[in-house]
Amino acid sequence: MRKLRRIKTLNPYEFELDLAPLLAVMVKLVPVLLVSSAFVQVMTVETDLPQAVKEAIQQQEQKPTTNIQIRASTKDGIQVIIAKGGAQKTETVPMKEGNFDYQTLHKTLQRIKGENPEVFKIELTPDSNVPYKDVVRMTDEARRSRDKTVTFPVYDAKENKTVKTDYMFPDVVFTNIFDG
Amino acid sequence: MSRRKRFELKGNHNSTFALNVTSMTDMFTIMLVFLLQTYTTSEVQVIPDKDQALPTSNSEANPVMALQISVTRTQLKIEDRVIASLQSDDFTRGDIDPNDTNFIKPLFAALEKAAKEEKERDAKYQANLAAGTPEMIKDAHGNLIPAGKPNPGILDGKIIVKADQNLSYGVLRKVMYTASMAGFPKMKMATVVGN
Repeated sequence: MRKLRRIKTLNPYEFELDLAPLLAVMVKLVPVLLVSSAFVQVMTVETDLPQAVKEAIQQQEQKPTTNIQIRASTKDGIQVIIAKGGAQKTETVPMKEGNFDYQTLHKTLQRIKGENPEVFKIELTPDSNVPYKDVVRMTDEARRSRDKTVTFPVYDAKENKTVKTDYMFPDVVFTNIFDG
Repeated sequence: MSRRKRFELKGNHNSTFALNVTSMTDMFTIMLVFLLQTYTTSEVQVIPDKDQALPTSNSEANPVMALQISVTRTQLKIEDRVIASLQSDDFTRGDIDPNDTNFIKPLFAALEKAAKEEKERDAKYQANLAAGTPEMIKDAHGNLIPAGKPNPGILDGKIIVKADQNLSYGVLRKVMYTASMAGFPKMKMATVVGN
């Protein structure tokens, strides 16, 4: 006797996933993104700061108390000159194996920032023969504390309290542009 | 009496076949996630020139609308137009003002011209808007926008400098000095994302 053929039905808890529309979307999206993507992400060095830091910078511009200058030379290394209340102090970060010692520079700037939390602006005066990549690196080292646990107090006038920020010297000014 | 059918091995004798797309879907999913992650939402695209290595920085600021100046080891360009040439990590003598060694003559002329053209375009655009008869064109997304809209960055004196990382600061200083003299004091340095 012939066996009755059972009609194949899916269990009510099972279903077949139709991947065709998903694939169609992906096949269209992938080429569009491949064509329009920029694989080298270019950013710009500028200061986009929290409101409290911006206000503190404005206050410092109105009442400049301390002036910090970074001089960079491929011969003598980096000199950080701090002028405060008529007195001037120079800290030198010598070259290390023919290169600028960024680790020591960062630590030195962290310490200086700790001593002068109200200062946000530094003047950068590299020599003409300093490579551009080193100039950018110096601005990076000065702008923010790499160690997120090292923060500095800044007074937030809106909230009327002191907040912590990892920004050190975000306002970098090249002061030797107009020098001869 | 029914005759029993002879047993046959199941084989793919017909022309239809089932396509297993699971691995392809996996690959597409990974690609899509990667591409969406690297997709930039910046309003301005800054593309480094050929043979130009931009310096690495941990800055996270997206480029803004501005005039783009590119400095490679051999050329100085404004928006892909060659303005001056460099030799041995400095500008050629003919391009530098003999009375002011930081002043790049062709760059100053080009920047002045760009600023003047942008101001004229802005005046025309504002006049058209005030008259209520702006010419409309389609943007990249197909939306209708008024034609001839000026670049606000140029009007505001902003420049983005794409400079090769191996150039000396002296070359950059000359560019910054000349740009400041031409009415572009707001300079932004283009960098590549890195640590």
